[in-house]
Amino acid sequence: MSDPIISCKSLTKTFRSGAEKLKILESVDFQLEKGSICTVLGPSGSGKSTFLAILGSLERFDSGVVRVCGYDLGTMPEKSLHVFRKDIVGFVFQFHFLLNDFTALENIALPRYAAGIPRAEAWDSARKLLNLVGLSDRAAHYPSQLSGGERQRVAIARALVNKPSIVLADEPTGNLDAASAKEVAKLISELPTATGTTVVLVTHDAELAALGSTSYSLKGGALECLRS
Amino acid sequence: MLKVMRFRPLKALTFLGLRFLFGRPVNERAEGEKTARGPHFRHSPFWGAVLGISISIIPLYIVVFVSNGMIRGITDRYLETKSSHLQAVLPFGAPPEKVQDLQRFISALQGVTSASPEIDGLGLAASSLGSVSAQIRGLDQSIAHDEGYTRYMRVDSGALNPKSQNEAVLGRYLARALRVKVGDSVTLITLRSVNSETMLPKMSVFRIVGVVSTGYRELDANWFIIPYKTAIRILNSETSYSFLGIKVTDPYSAGLDTVRASVAQEMRILGLTTNADIAVQTWRTTEQGLFQSFTSTQSVLILIMALAVIVAAINLASALSTFVLEHRLEIAILKSFGLSRSQAATIFLIGGTATGTLGILAGSGVGIFISMYINQIIAGFQFLIDFFTRIIAPAVHPIALLNPDYYLEHIPVNFSWTFTLIIVGASVLASALVSIVPALKSASIAPSELIRHE
Repeated sequence: MSDPIISCKSLTKTFRSGAEKLKILESVDFQLEKGSICTVLGPSGSGKSTFLAILGSLERFDSGVVRVCGYDLGTMPEKSLHVFRKDIVGFVFQFHFLLNDFTALENIALPRYAAGIPRAEAWDSARKLLNLVGLSDRAAHYPSQLSGGERQRVAIARALVNKPSIVLADEPTGNLDAASAKEVAKLISELPTATGTTVVLVTHDAELAALGSTSYSLKGGALECLRS
Repeated sequence: MLKVMRFRPLKALTFLGLRFLFGRPVNERAEGEKTARGPHFRHSPFWGAVLGISISIIPLYIVVFVSNGMIRGITDRYLETKSSHLQAVLPFGAPPEKVQDLQRFISALQGVTSASPEIDGLGLAASSLGSVSAQIRGLDQSIAHDEGYTRYMRVDSGALNPKSQNEAVLGRYLARALRVKVGDSVTLITLRSVNSETMLPKMSVFRIVGVVSTGYRELDANWFIIPYKTAIRILNSETSYSFLGIKVTDPYSAGLDTVRASVAQEMRILGLTTNADIAVQTWRTTEQGLFQSFTSTQSVLILIMALAVIVAAINLASALSTFVLEHRLEIAILKSFGLSRSQAATIFLIGGTATGTLGILAGSGVGIFISMYINQIIAGFQFLIDFFTRIIAPAVHPIALLNPDYYLEHIPVNFSWTFTLIIVGASVLASALVSIVPALKSASIAPSELIRHE
């Protein structure tokens, strides 16, 4: 394997619930090559989202080493993590998490605009991505005026706007009907080719997990390779 | 280039802050409805905060501009008709030639417009219908050429100044108290010292040739104006005060002290004083009590009005804090896409300051407008009061919103850019300061809240 874009070694994460200690991830080793789609399959509560949040620096971990695009997430100070989130990763959540007060185009453009890119350039990038996800006619619509599938496609476009190396998708079809889920799954499967990004997708849906060129299963805090 | 890169996010954060706080859709359409709608200003707690700040700032402008105008108006009346800009205190019975020399010297000084001798004293004025204590003012004929004096002295009837030795001009309320008018005679009783232990009353009869008013009752209620030479004759050194009233082009400028020093030096040279430090006093000393009373009253009023602005600013902070709590998720979303803690704080700092500024600008516009047209607005209210009083209770004594006895028949307004900038600057600063706590709250929201939410 060439230099992995993501590598985890002995990754451990526990949560405390009163006196009880819940081990979510236990000595997880994981590596992922650039430009591929990796799916992590597991039932609800298995720690898939936490794993994804750790890779995206939304969550800290207890021990181990996590390197993403050369960033050592365990040693980075909290105040520097926003740079990593801005430049390296893009998130797609189960719930679209679009900002209701902004149009589809603005939702996509905002992360880029806030990153210091001129407004015209940010809006232009957003328009291109809206076109990529097939929603160029929905630019001026607010999230409340879009269907569930459209919202999720806007969310995918937003995740791509800062040209991230990695897209982290957490149950992206979990809230969608079958037809919309299919559309979104197709879109995600095309991302590495269309944008050159690496995708890590966690899901409990075996059909969606089949998208991945590599696939893992997360159960009882341990990561097991299903397909590589 | 680096500077541009630093400002771009600020523009983006401003866009975010303003849209967050003000630009949300009014009616969210049903899911799937495809009609494009632009941003609409829906009901937002921040419009209430804007309104609160606007309303709170209006009285502040009115108080500042009207009180400034009134203080200036009253001070000008005192300076031009009573105390002059400077007073060179003369010993009673000072040699007239020396007084004239001093007068010539002063008149030749740069910036001096007039120098007129005056003797003030107390007496009892009596007519056939009553007697009242009177403030006697012995004025020189040259006062008739004093532009400031003639500007503020309103002649109710007769002449402005007494011409011959037994003529007198009375203040409006003294004439009313004595129930006399132009052409009537009044007896003035003063005290003359016979020796160091004995004083005898001296009665002088004056014919009234004029009734005047400055428009400010406190000032001229007891004035009994007589010729300077007559005052020398009927007043004595123990109960009177003699001085040269000096006027300059700008009594509010620092040049007043230069004139004061020159006059004091000349008085020492002429032997008219042994203590030059107290011989010449500016109006700031002679009217110190009055001026301090005005300014301290004004300060208290401004403080009370400023408290209202502070309360409105705290209301803004409260609205902003609630907003941050209600929008934790949106803030976490933005952070998940790379917004830093300081950028998240900046959004709300900008939003809060913008909300305050919007209120301040609206309030400033209305406040300045009301201040500038306060007389017309009051006249409008007066018209309405008079109209309804005539209809509802015609027998009732007319209600006057402004009492002309106290120089209030017309409210002077003194607009000041300095005060406007101070009010706007301080209020914007207050809005920014109260936004700090909610801004810090937003900074502390962790992006991991998104996972908890899911």
